[in-house]
Amino acid sequence: MIKIKDLHFTYPGAQQATLNGVNLEIQQGEFVAIIGNNGSGKSTLCKTLNGLIPNFIVGDGSGRVEYNGEDLWNMPIGKIAKRIGYVYQDFENQIVCPTVLEDAAFSCLNYGFEDYMEKGIDALNLCDLLAKKDDYIWQLSGGQLHLLALAGALALAPDVLILDEPIAQLDPAHAKQMYDILKDLNEKHGKTIIVIEHHSEYIADYCQTAILLHEGRVLWKKDARAALRECQQLIDCHIYPPQITVAAQLLQDQKTGVKSAVLPTTFSEGKVFFQAMDSLVQADVIHTHNDVEKEIAVELTDITVQYRSVKGDPKTLFDNFNLNIFKGDKIALIGSNGAGKTTLMKLLVGLLKPKRGKIKMNGVDVTSYRAEQLASHISLVYQNPEQMLIKESVRADIEFAMKERKVANYQEQAQELIALFDLEAIAENDGRLLSGGQMRRASLAIGIALEPPILLLDEPTANLDIATRQEIIRTLELLKDKIETVIIATHDMQLVCEFATRILVLSSGEVICDGSREFVFSNQAVRKQAGIEPPAIYQMAEQLGGCAYTVNEFVQAFQKEQCV
Amino acid sequence: MKAVTEQLWDKFSLDFLRNQVLKNAYGNDDTIIAKIDPRTLLIWYIFFGVFPWFMHNPTLLLGLFIFVAVTTRLAKVAPLVLVLFCFGVFTQSGYLLIVSWFFGGNLETLAPLLIMTLKVSITSLASITVFSGLNPDRLASGLLWFGCPDQFAFSIAFAYRILPILMEEFQNILLSYRLRGQAPDNSGWRGKIRYVIYQVRIIMLSFLPLMLNIAKRSRTTVEALELRGYRYANQNKVIKKMKIKMLQLSQLDFYFALISIAWLWGCFVVAS
Repeated sequence: MIKIKDLHFTYPGAQQATLNGVNLEIQQGEFVAIIGNNGSGKSTLCKTLNGLIPNFIVGDGSGRVEYNGEDLWNMPIGKIAKRIGYVYQDFENQIVCPTVLEDAAFSCLNYGFEDYMEKGIDALNLCDLLAKKDDYIWQLSGGQLHLLALAGALALAPDVLILDEPIAQLDPAHAKQMYDILKDLNEKHGKTIIVIEHHSEYIADYCQTAILLHEGRVLWKKDARAALRECQQLIDCHIYPPQITVAAQLLQDQKTGVKSAVLPTTFSEGKVFFQAMDSLVQADVIHTHNDVEKEIAVELTDITVQYRSVKGDPKTLFDNFNLNIFKGDKIALIGSNGAGKTTLMKLLVGLLKPKRGKIKMNGVDVTSYRAEQLASHISLVYQNPEQMLIKESVRADIEFAMKERKVANYQEQAQELIALFDLEAIAENDGRLLSGGQMRRASLAIGIALEPPILLLDEPTANLDIATRQEIIRTLELLKDKIETVIIATHDMQLVCEFATRILVLSSGEVICDGSREFVFSNQAVRKQAGIEPPAIYQMAEQLGGCAYTVNEFVQAFQKEQCV
Repeated sequence: MKAVTEQLWDKFSLDFLRNQVLKNAYGNDDTIIAKIDPRTLLIWYIFFGVFPWFMHNPTLLLGLFIFVAVTTRLAKVAPLVLVLFCFGVFTQSGYLLIVSWFFGGNLETLAPLLIMTLKVSITSLASITVFSGLNPDRLASGLLWFGCPDQFAFSIAFAYRILPILMEEFQNILLSYRLRGQAPDNSGWRGKIRYVIYQVRIIMLSFLPLMLNIAKRSRTTVEALELRGYRYANQNKVIKKMKIKMLQLSQLDFYFALISIAWLWGCFVVAS
């Protein structure tokens, strides 16, 4: 159906070609994942399919792109749009109308379909959004916005859908919904689906084939599961295979003689694979009951918070909310979108004032303090790092807060932070032009410049590819020694497992569970209520009657068995 | 007292402003005014925006003023807009009224000023009615019908689409300055002045990062508009016709026009 022959493309002004001789065929009805590290040309390849290249983005290109025998490169963009739909990674910028139905029907209206409203409604129906058709865009959650972007592309009834990282910003429940919808479109409506995806667990569960791109070339196209078994090659390309596959590979490498077995990629395959090996040793669950009296850092008592709403009465989110945060806590704040994570953070830094209740910090009542007054005691790193970059260079941004407060040796301290966060090469650049991971590291350095005793991080690993995410998790480890109390709001359960000593589960403005990872993850009711998906490796171990939070722990549990 | 100042201060917050703008643009789409066809409202507006300037009879103007005051009430205009309206009218001409009265002006000097103030008020209230009652998309299709270029009509709707994003982005950047910067001590009147200057300075400084961030975002939007056929539609007359076909006159439009004309006629009769 789609045939690409010897495709080259160089962006104007670029030194190197982004696409370097791509040869590829995609069949009708395929569900394909395109994988590859940042800069391997994934997005560029997709833009050659939707006509943006060469119709809109001019560059130096050669080769042939065919769709059912027609030459895509000489087709007007409008004609392509009816055949191939595209959903951006930053999908919210793709939505241009104020209301849901209007946006879904926008393309159809523009291309002159008389029945554009019906088409819009059909598309919303396919994306589970029909109930929201008269809502305004800003009333939707992030997950719903993403579905709307999909509906907007779907309304033109294209045969092919291309999605650039469809679940990067979604919590597990919404991510699953997204993929279930895609699967439905693929199986029941015969759409060909192409996703750029970093989450290999989803590739294993949903995709049929996978294409590995590296330095602007297709290295191979394989059956999706076979592709994920190429552990070493994937890791070399900065792609992380499913945790289950990695664990199986590690175990196989250590046990000589059993190389023959096929590595598992999905949960059910993993079950068969590991059960065939030795039984998993019940890891020694170390119940560290800290009887040491911990000092309270922040105390929230009887907090009630109300929000202004555009229509009708203010909404109450927190009602008599109580919480103690102790010095030295490394807290992960989890819960689905809208559970109150951001509200809690805003309360703590003094951006939001409670309607009733008291906030004490180190025993001092700070309820009425302005955010500026609290700034040197508690610091917040936003989810969107661009909004922290207010100066002309990364260095100036890191120095800014210290300089304003007349810290004597601010230049040396900034230099130390730059070295610590590995920002030397880019310290003089404008932060906005950095890659996602670099920008995130810079924002962390900015956040801790004043060495606040308490640091809040809002989704520090959202929107990052897996390799960059690992890099940020490592960077966060560095923070542990520098900052006494850290609170992270996140959907990323691997981060939770590796970082937190205390987990707070929020659900509609209430803490429904508070404790160690052992305590929280073993509570099925809480997991269900708050929509928490523990890491795949934990669920695997759980199935096998054991307990492990990381791949290493999992592998070690097996090794112990061998030693006995 | 402290509670009062805090409440007042709260009204100056960007969050409040954002809420009010959204309220005005979208929060009142269930009013009677919002159900009237945009074309009817635009014609009505042209009349009430122009007609008062040629009238000098205070009774007639007062009648018109009462009428637009009622329509403003019906449109459920956000409080902030009303406050701005009062402030605007006062700075336009209302203060002259007070000044001239203060310096011993009699009714004769006051009358022309009063008329002037009434005229300004009528046109302002009429525009408030129309623009709060019409959400941006309806306004855009109405303008389109009158032959306004599509680019202009679309940019109105799109401006409202990105306004909330823009304000949130601005709020966060401003916050970066506030939290990381060091506000001057605001005790005493000198401190207060310094504090205000500081606030104004960081608001101005926030604009550059805001523009850069928006520029970064809009790259996707521009590409998406192309993919979604925006340019294609602009060059095509048939599609423009489709866009305005959704506008439909109803009985409500008829009654609205009838009541407006009847009221005007009544005012004329009373005035003469």
